[in-house]
Amino acid sequence: MTEYWRWKEYRWHDEEVDWRAGELVTAGVDVGSVSSQAVVMVDGELYAFSSMRTGSDSPESARKAMDWAMEGTGLTLDDVGFVVGTGYGRVNVPFSDKAITEIACHARGANYMYGPGVRTVLDMGGQDCKVIRCDERGKVSAFVMNDKCAAGTGRGMEVFADLLAIPIEEVGELSLQVEEEPPPVSCTCVVFAKSEATALLREGWPKSKVLAAYCSAMAHRVVTLLEQVGVEEEFAITGGIAKNIGIVRRLEDEIGVKAQSAKYDTQIAGGLGGALFAQSLLKKKLNAN
Amino acid sequence: MFEQLREWERNRHDYAKAWKQRTGGKVLGYFCTYVPEEILHAAGVLPVRILGSHEPQDVTEPHIFGMYCPFCRDCLAQGLKGRYDYLDGIMIAQSCLHIRQAYTSWEKHRPREFSYYLPMPNHVQSLRALPYLTGELVQFKAAVEEWTGKTIANADLDKAIEVYNENRRLMHAVYELRKGEEPPLTGEEAMEMVIASQMTDKTEHNEELRKVLAGLPTRKDGRDTGVRLMIIGSEDDDTEFINMVESCGATFVVDEHCTGTRYFWNEVEPRHDRLEAIAARYIDRVPCPSKDWVERTRIQHILELAREWKVDGAIVMQQKFCDPHELDTPAIRKALEDAGIKTLFLEFDVTVPIGQFKVRVEAFLEMFAEEDLFD
Repeated sequence: MTEYWRWKEYRWHDEEVDWRAGELVTAGVDVGSVSSQAVVMVDGELYAFSSMRTGSDSPESARKAMDWAMEGTGLTLDDVGFVVGTGYGRVNVPFSDKAITEIACHARGANYMYGPGVRTVLDMGGQDCKVIRCDERGKVSAFVMNDKCAAGTGRGMEVFADLLAIPIEEVGELSLQVEEEPPPVSCTCVVFAKSEATALLREGWPKSKVLAAYCSAMAHRVVTLLEQVGVEEEFAITGGIAKNIGIVRRLEDEIGVKAQSAKYDTQIAGGLGGALFAQSLLKKKLNAN
Repeated sequence: MFEQLREWERNRHDYAKAWKQRTGGKVLGYFCTYVPEEILHAAGVLPVRILGSHEPQDVTEPHIFGMYCPFCRDCLAQGLKGRYDYLDGIMIAQSCLHIRQAYTSWEKHRPREFSYYLPMPNHVQSLRALPYLTGELVQFKAAVEEWTGKTIANADLDKAIEVYNENRRLMHAVYELRKGEEPPLTGEEAMEMVIASQMTDKTEHNEELRKVLAGLPTRKDGRDTGVRLMIIGSEDDDTEFINMVESCGATFVVDEHCTGTRYFWNEVEPRHDRLEAIAARYIDRVPCPSKDWVERTRIQHILELAREWKVDGAIVMQQKFCDPHELDTPAIRKALEDAGIKTLFLEFDVTVPIGQFKVRVEAFLEMFAEEDLFD
């Protein structure tokens, strides 16, 4: 059976760089509720990362992600000077030296990914959404998170992709293929998604239109969160949903602000921020000795 | 040092039952801190505040709207489940509609021998509020006398006022010690102390407070104070939440809610007419937001507390759907932020999702310590 929800799990490292020539090798491991990423940096530059699904065992997921990021590089954990654990499972990263919240890590990661001009970061993750305001160093000045329910987050989008049998990577694009924007679905609840989608399909709606209605509802839900903190430019989106053009475009239209375009995989922002904090902390540690 | 107070707070029902057996007196459950407990104490009645149990429940749905606050539902659930069946009476002093619904539903489904609705005025800023409430207290006193068969003399009222005022002074003294660099008690202990005061005989509570105060100034608990926090908001007896925050590198040094300072901050000032003196205390006390209108007097008070207790940040919480607090929260947060005090807003339910709140709290605390994390 095709798993339409399944997004690409992969790893990458910079083959041009020899980590042995670097001074500071640090890592950030982001164990989220849905996905896990391990990011390795050498002297403050991105060197390697992995992105995979989080399993039922957080420490195991952390270990797997880290091992995969280091695969084929010759790196071992002993070569990594400092590891920061972040994300939902931040305290369950067995080899981490410090746990830092994903809120701080996403702000700092976004600062690296999009540059020091970023003031508002929207992290759209697997089970929650955060709006973070930060300064030119990526230091958090205010934040707000969605409430208990995971409606309108990555996991909800996965369920919808499966229901409509559309690969998750194509959902956003397809949702834009409508002549006229349909009214948003009334409920973004993941549990009710099935009856919502079925009802619309039964009415004869094409899949693209159903997706448009769902993406639009999700975008609207996030806008209410953004409005609580206010959007100061530049504006950047991190997390898996940032790759969904159907949501990003609708979001931009609603708030009237363009999101910065991503040069990196938006899912690694948390791990990247963690690795940057790890670098600062490693420097302090070395200076203290 | 706080073991006895914690024991009373945790085993509130055992305390009340034992008190009843020991004294043969009547126990009355009350729903809001606007109830003039002095009059009950003067009649030999033990007033205990009705609070929830923080357990998920399914008994209140037919009786209270889902969009009424979780606290009032949790309170009613305790009654419907029979956990307060030892009560001889119940009462409420008007504050908000949600808790009043818990009271009226309790009255209907779990009737007691005595039940009283005290129409405490909402417009306490009106000059007519004092004579109005004084008149209501005359009637209330008569009702208590009829119920208990005891005539309440001025001397009884004087004694009750003194016991209550002493309780307030002693708790004030404990709070004073929290102003220091290293407060000798946690916010959790302070909360347990105030909640225990709401459910025990004040004479006994005073005795315990005197013992605590004797040892407190020299107490060293060895914990790092961390970020100095204040908690502000609606009814909140969630000691588990306080404990979670204080385990993340912070200490609550002061609060502004009705299981804290709002309950005991003001004393009864002596007047010839004792009932008028008591009425004046409840009219002039730090108000609940349901009564803090047209002028928002609480804000100034909150800022003073924050300054005197040298607060770095404030957690502003409220029970979900609490309209009066919802109305005041934006203004309070703005005033604090303008004064350079960072705020975190959280909405409480019967059970608090510790994991989700923990990430918010940790991220909030990181905002104070984040400089250590940068080059």
